[in-house]
Amino acid sequence: MNEGLVVVVRSVIGFFSLLIFTRIIGKEQISQLTFFDYVLGITIGSIAASLTTDLSSRAWPHWVGLLVWAALGYLMEVITLKWRYAAKVLEGEPDIIIMNGKILEKSLKKAKYRASDILELLRNQGIFNLNEVSYAIIESNGKLSVLKKPENQPLTPKTMNIQVKDEGMSIELIYDGILFTENLTQISKNKAWLMEQLKAEGINDISEVFLAVFNPDGTLYVDKYDDHIQKPIDVGDYKGPF
Amino acid sequence: MRKFLVTAIPVLSIILFVGIMLSDILLKTPLLNGEVIPDSIDELIQIVQSEEWDKAAAKTKELEQKWNKAVKLFQFSSERDEINFFNVNLARLKGAILERNKTLAVIELKEAHEHWDKLGQ
Repeated sequence: MNEGLVVVVRSVIGFFSLLIFTRIIGKEQISQLTFFDYVLGITIGSIAASLTTDLSSRAWPHWVGLLVWAALGYLMEVITLKWRYAAKVLEGEPDIIIMNGKILEKSLKKAKYRASDILELLRNQGIFNLNEVSYAIIESNGKLSVLKKPENQPLTPKTMNIQVKDEGMSIELIYDGILFTENLTQISKNKAWLMEQLKAEGINDISEVFLAVFNPDGTLYVDKYDDHIQKPIDVGDYKGPF
Repeated sequence: MRKFLVTAIPVLSIILFVGIMLSDILLKTPLLNGEVIPDSIDELIQIVQSEEWDKAAAKTKELEQKWNKAVKLFQFSSERDEINFFNVNLARLKGAILERNKTLAVIELKEAHEHWDKLGQ
């Protein structure tokens, strides 16, 4: 038995199975994961690891375990999407910890957070004075959302009655010397226009460009491969790299 | 076409993976000559019982060759322990034949048969 070869084959099976299953399970961002999602991820990963290296048992039962955990994870996701009550039970609800500037001790106890934990989470958000807080909520993913008192809210153009232009989004036109014609069509321009713009920057060919972005104000940001910077500033604090 | 490939590639990959992991079931069927090893074991038991030791030694070598060939295919779907146990049985069988110990040789052959049956279960 060639154990190395078997591990290679099992690794390929585990890797791609995991990739396929996680793509099916969902697109939730890591920051949105609940504690259960986190545990689910660890368990599925652990099963995949056993599938790869535990040669004392067949790959099949590990793979079935992987499939069942992934399927149950998917099922839970579908249930929580379709059934609001189940979502509350399975994923938990946000807990209001501070209301009108007052810490709610009962909610704190229920969420199993200490006052020092709340202070730490507030400091993470740049709040060092409890008097600034109007509402604080522990979300179901364990993160703290804070609403500051009106007098501590940051000044916005709206409160100052200042008219601001809609910024919009920048669109990539060239990346790594490759032109994105779909994006060019999207902004109602053509290749001739782009070449004209590039020529004005002293560029004769698209392959010279590393990145070209069309800004909402109609300007073009162009970065060439050849930056003509003789001595880049070194921000390291030791002689390097090794 | 792209949409089709996005669905087809994962589905085909899963089918291939399941096929590799369950290949032992197929490999043990008569269709793929899966009865060669149990038949050889049964034949060896008869030879040992009739105490034809030279023939038994030659047949054991033959069985070992067949086993080594089969393991190359079985290793991806079977557990390492059953494969190792079978190898141990073969080694002990060789010793038993060398010492002309009928009882021990039959015990080892019966155990090897059991390990073959348990392979991939």
